Amino acid sequence: MVPPRPALSFDHLGIVLAVLIGVALFAAPFATYRATRIASGEARLLIEALPVAMASALVLVALGLAAGAVLVRDPLGRLGSAVIGLAVLLPSLGLSAGFLTPADNSFARVSPSAGFWLLSLSFSLLAVDALARMRLGPFGRLVALAVGVSALALLLFSGIWDDLSIIKEYRTRADSFWREARQHLMLAVGSMALACLIGVPLGIASHRLRTLRTAVLQGLGIVQTIPSIALFGLLIAPLGALAASVPLAAALGIRGIGAAPAFIALLLYALLPIVANTIAGLNQVPAVVADAARGMGMSPWQRLVQVELPLALPVILAGIRIVLVQNLGLATVAALIGGGGFGTFVFQGIGQTAIDLVLLGAIPTVVLSFVASIILDALVDFSKGALA
Amino acid sequence: MRPSSLVRLSALLLLVIFVTMPEAFAFLFEPLITPGAPAIYNQGSLFALTMQHLRTVCLATLASTLLAVALGIFVTRPSGAEFLPLSRSLVNIGQTFPPIAVLAIAVPLVGFGEKPTFVALFLYGLLPIFENTLTGLTQVPPTALEAARGMGMNAWQRLVQVELPLALPMILAGIRLSVIISLGTATIGSTVAAKGLGEVIIAGLQSNNIAFVLQGGLVVALLAVLVHDGLGLLERIAARKLGRSLDETP
Amino acid sequence: MITIDHLTKRYGSTLVVDDISFEVEEGTLTVVVGTSGAGKSTLLRMINRLVEPTGGRVLIDGEDTRTIPEDALRHRIGYVIQGYGLFPHRNVADNIATVPRLLRWDRKRIAQRVEELLDLFQLDPAEFAHKFPHELSGGQQQRVGVARALAARPALLLMDEPFGALDAVIRSKAQDDLLAIQRRLGTTIVLVTHDMNEAFHLGDRIAVMDQARLLQYAAPAELLMHPADDFVERLVGTAERPFRLLSLTKVQEVLEAGRAEGEPITASESLHEALSRLLWTGRAALPVADAAGAIIGQVSVGSILRHGRPLP
Repeated sequence: MVPPRPALSFDHLGIVLAVLIGVALFAAPFATYRATRIASGEARLLIEALPVAMASALVLVALGLAAGAVLVRDPLGRLGSAVIGLAVLLPSLGLSAGFLTPADNSFARVSPSAGFWLLSLSFSLLAVDALARMRLGPFGRLVALAVGVSALALLLFSGIWDDLSIIKEYRTRADSFWREARQHLMLAVGSMALACLIGVPLGIASHRLRTLRTAVLQGLGIVQTIPSIALFGLLIAPLGALAASVPLAAALGIRGIGAAPAFIALLLYALLPIVANTIAGLNQVPAVVADAARGMGMSPWQRLVQVELPLALPVILAGIRIVLVQNLGLATVAALIGGGGFGTFVFQGIGQTAIDLVLLGAIPTVVLSFVASIILDALVDFSKGALA
Repeated sequence: MRPSSLVRLSALLLLVIFVTMPEAFAFLFEPLITPGAPAIYNQGSLFALTMQHLRTVCLATLASTLLAVALGIFVTRPSGAEFLPLSRSLVNIGQTFPPIAVLAIAVPLVGFGEKPTFVALFLYGLLPIFENTLTGLTQVPPTALEAARGMGMNAWQRLVQVELPLALPMILAGIRLSVIISLGTATIGSTVAAKGLGEVIIAGLQSNNIAFVLQGGLVVALLAVLVHDGLGLLERIAARKLGRSLDETP
Repeated sequence: MITIDHLTKRYGSTLVVDDISFEVEEGTLTVVVGTSGAGKSTLLRMINRLVEPTGGRVLIDGEDTRTIPEDALRHRIGYVIQGYGLFPHRNVADNIATVPRLLRWDRKRIAQRVEELLDLFQLDPAEFAHKFPHELSGGQQQRVGVARALAARPALLLMDEPFGALDAVIRSKAQDDLLAIQRRLGTTIVLVTHDMNEAFHLGDRIAVMDQARLLQYAAPAELLMHPADDFVERLVGTAERPFRLLSLTKVQEVLEAGRAEGEPITASESLHEALSRLLWTGRAALPVADAAGAIIGQVSVGSILRHGRPLP
């Protein structure tokens, strides 16, 4: 019913991306060179950051893609060009680090700079836009995610990025990196799991009892409003008192400062979305279905387990998605009260003005949240599909 | 309604009295400290810090609101429609960035102090407002728009007289969410030397003074709950003015 | 007078309105009727240019609508849709004042006009002016929708399934009210519906559409007696045909001398109504009264039957 587009027309998003690519190539530094880890950085344009042949190759590819973004409207074509762009850009960052670092100099640091970030932003936008237009199903999205994650893993293990500052930061603290990673996941996923165990039954009870529902939702709503660091702070005093007076609590690792207040705070934050979505999910079970189940002589327990919960599952899963993404982000703040997690590197990095250390904490957090949100979105879709 | 407004009022009163004359509450915090340490935050006025905190949040929210609403309007016009799928995905992806990461990455770009905090608040505040503007504008009943067109309203008149007023409660809800996130992020801003209430908590953590941590936590928490509540009240008034029944805008 | 002149609309390769021409007389109510997807709404929306025709033109009193700026054209044409599209954020008075405000009438004139319309539609201004749409019943919303469309005194009113959202009882009352208001104001109305009963009840003339084409454009009686083809005949409904015909004729026209027993029927009622009263009461004839209530004759089963068989 829509009149056909004229054969040749410019894509507006493509024009924006082409401008971004142009700025990134010629007006912004590609990499930053530091003589030592905390020395102030010197900007290097793309031409200076790579051997001439490679730099010109990258420029040509990027310009070609810019033209493609403006002219090609087919999503598959756009996705293809974005993938080519990233496949050329990402390794060349590693090559640039090798090129800029003087031989046998283990103090010098090379980090990506505005030009690199802009280029990867433009190519990623192109990919995201193409994927959004393709309207992939949940399975397709998981496949795309798997491809992306494997490509990233390949880049990391190939060693092509080894001269980059962030990888050097990682090498000097590989042990603590994985320890903090485990801690981060324990905080975020553990508190989410416990929140499910408490929240779903609480949601079921609140669904039935009006007074409980009002009290629970209002109480959790207030908790949700309190900023994370303030809630941590409010928990430190009572937990400290508990540890001081109950030896068993102290033996279990509960202390005023550390992971315990962070874990409890994340748990409290996680409860609202899970309880609220359980209630919402149960509310939207069609009355006729519940009635039919009763008419067939199902007991309340059978109705709950066999009819209501399966029908409410997509909404409950959507709540779990919110919680997981929120927790993975909030867990970074835990480091501030000695709770560990990737935030440790972020706050150390801020303290030392070492941006690469900040990124070492921030990038895994973002990647984790991103991966978690895609997987759980797919699960929500699957659970909806199972009902349809 | 009565008891809840009483609670509201006493919470506000408590907050004001506490930040203006914290010394009066010293006796409550003394049991928490090691002998000789100060019981009440002594490196600055709580009142000034609260005002500074609110100022940063207000300015950043104002800036985010202007840009986010403008962007929301743009992508829902025919000329901006090409950006709609991308902008929806970007909002989803953007929310996976923890505010602290945004804050930390802003430091090398603009330096320490208020600026990185402002940048982080501004960027992170965009998302909920943009998302809600989008939802509000796309949920305008199609019959109302068809009627507006049929009565000869031009595109501008439709936007100003029909679409924006109908999207307003949604936009306000987005602003409220944004303000709450910003209050929290601004607290963390103290780790990059921004003036604000986070200072009190951080100072407490550094000097192992639980009284400071508790004071900071209490003031920030109370402030956030009151601001959240106050903005909610504003939303309900707006919704009532728009002739909505209250249960439609929880 | 509205002239629809070879109007055509095509979306890609799909023909939605196929070369339709007809004329609507000043002050009459024309009903466009047909199955869903027949192109009725598109035809209507081309009159106020919410849809731009692919070919053909629309003339209002000889003036080509393409020469009038879109918005100005729509200010002059009232438009009522199914669901009414009342603005949920504006109260009844502000909803009705929409077009007068766009036309920058002064405040006093607008207030006067709003009050006038509320009275006309039997909505007490003191009670309803400040209510919001969600506080109104379906029938009240419908009346506000029509009042809003009439606010700037348009010479032409377009209505797209205006009674579609009402239940049967309220619908027939709303239809009667519309007829009364139309007679009183003399507004030209083009109304789209899929309901044949509604078409016969309201239309001075009926345009039957199917699959983008205009099959027949005629007065209701003509449509009954001389359907242009099988489709029109089926749509009119052979079983209901005699009753439809009876409801088009007034008791006045078959009045005969005599003084029958029983409750009198008014001369302006339809033969359909008279017959149903006769059947129900089991009488052979009913007395007929004029508007003042004076008996002026009688109507009998025989006279109605004779009228029901007009063809030789």
